[in-house]
Amino acid sequence: MTAVSPRLLEVDLEVERRQVNVAACFALEAGDRLAIFGTSGAGKTTILESIAGLTRLKRGAIRVDGQLVAGKVKGEPALQPRHRQVALVRQPTTLFPHLTVEQNVGYGVRHSSPREKVAELLERLGLTVLARARGAALSGGQRQRVALGRALASSFRVLLLDEPLSAVDVAARASLRQLTIEASADRGAAGILVTHDLTEAQAYSDRLGIFDSGQLLQMGGSLEVVLSPASRRVAELVGYGGFVRSELRTDRFYAIHPDRVLPGALFDRGVVLKGSVLSTRPYGARYECTVAERSGEQFTVHLDSPFVAGVECTITAIEPPLVEG
Amino acid sequence: MRTTAPAGNLASTGVVPGFPVAGRVAARTSTCLALAAALVIWLALLGPFAVLIQHLSFHSIRAALGPPGALDPLWVSLGASAIALGAMMAFGTPLAYLLARGRLPLARLVELGIMLPLMMPPLVIGLLLIFLIGPEGTLGNLLADIHLTGVNTFFALVVAEFYEAAPFYVLGAYAAFASVDPRIEQDATLLGDRPLQAFRRITLPLAAPGLATGLATAWARAMGAFGAVIIVAYYPRGLPNQIFIAFQEFGLQGALPFALLLVVAALPLPVLAYLWSARNRARVAGIETE
Repeated sequence: MTAVSPRLLEVDLEVERRQVNVAACFALEAGDRLAIFGTSGAGKTTILESIAGLTRLKRGAIRVDGQLVAGKVKGEPALQPRHRQVALVRQPTTLFPHLTVEQNVGYGVRHSSPREKVAELLERLGLTVLARARGAALSGGQRQRVALGRALASSFRVLLLDEPLSAVDVAARASLRQLTIEASADRGAAGILVTHDLTEAQAYSDRLGIFDSGQLLQMGGSLEVVLSPASRRVAELVGYGGFVRSELRTDRFYAIHPDRVLPGALFDRGVVLKGSVLSTRPYGARYECTVAERSGEQFTVHLDSPFVAGVECTITAIEPPLVEG
Repeated sequence: MRTTAPAGNLASTGVVPGFPVAGRVAARTSTCLALAAALVIWLALLGPFAVLIQHLSFHSIRAALGPPGALDPLWVSLGASAIALGAMMAFGTPLAYLLARGRLPLARLVELGIMLPLMMPPLVIGLLLIFLIGPEGTLGNLLADIHLTGVNTFFALVVAEFYEAAPFYVLGAYAAFASVDPRIEQDATLLGDRPLQAFRRITLPLAAPGLATGLATAWARAMGAFGAVIIVAYYPRGLPNQIFIAFQEFGLQGALPFALLLVVAALPLPVLAYLWSARNRARVAGIETE
């Protein structure tokens, strides 16, 4: 009989918080990346701090490479923080304020040529010119780069990211995200990103978990979860803005996503809806129109050409998922 | 009624559009009042120092401090205060850290215990110390077994100074440690530090300005401790006792040279600690870079 090798990260936790109990159960293999998406205050940060072993669990256990990191198991002491090989990037960013950018990034480097490694990382983070500056002199985005660099320079097997790029310019996010993904892959590490930005979550990982009020509501492929939400709440969280009762199954509702509609009646593409346009306004390079369906349900749609407010309109919701009331 | 100047006159009047003239006058008046109040307080606090310098002459200093053994109280005070300070650091630092991190049971009770010597008159502390470490006390009997006596000895002087000054250090250190975000200590341990390493590399440097201020205050208090000291350690004679005795025997002119000596001996450390703390805080705040 062969022994079953443990997964890189095994999470089964329940944490008691003042407002809401946080619970989650999942496992990640080496090289896996998971994005946890949810609203502010849902308990996402608690999940990360628990996995890092920084929060007392009410129940359950966290294991990295089969070794206990958090939780109480008889006869099995939890690993000391320095042996956990877990890197955590927090929100708000926590730098060592008395150290320079270079010293912050190099803090956890424990190998023979730290200076070269740090210099290379600073270069890729765009921080070379700020190497001798301290945290107080940096902008929010620069602080996040330093925190990210400090985590990436350490010897981690599990990378925990709490909104790590929220203050970084949109233009720089892609390269920093790529750097993060490469660093994880080089080490065969598992990564978890928590964010309230769905596009950021999807860009980081092809696996998405939806978290709300302390519970992991749904986990699956990052597009699959958006296209097939398991519940009305998940649908609301991933951006569905309207719910129109189904004529065939009256206990169910079609969830209307603003980006998954086309003007006109296209019966072969989805469900055709008729209503009146309440308002129209620019939305980036498109238009956002608020529509009142005949049943009275209101929802917004994003279109390339605007509807005129006050007129009747017909739209097709592309393959809308059916969710319970 | 218009309360702002016309836009065309902005350059000449310096008036900001939308900022009422009455408001500006009020702001200027309160600034002047605050400056005046600050000056009064500053002069009031510095007044005694100015008087001390004014009333001292080189002749009186030489007469008081010139004879052999005249500086002995200085050495006694310096030695006792240094030992008391060492004890405060050794025992007070861990206590302050544990309090700041909420790791002590009955923390409020512990805090109260620390503050008690602050709230009690020093003379009362002195009287109680006689019961505690004097030859008649239980602890005093135990001390006698190791040849220590808690009255009129150098040891008694150290203990009295410790009681008068330790709360200042512990409370200062408590505030200093509490100002360090515990999350960055956690970050350091996740990055590979042992707890003591994280304390040395992160907590201590960040708390150092506050610790230095607490230490300096405690030093000044220990050097100047008098109320408890005069009860339990009239001998060996430290500087505050010497000032009191000189005042009784020779009057004001006889006491002033020793007062100057005490100020000169006690002040440099607090002043240096204050300057260092200010510089360090400015560096961390990014006002000054390497």
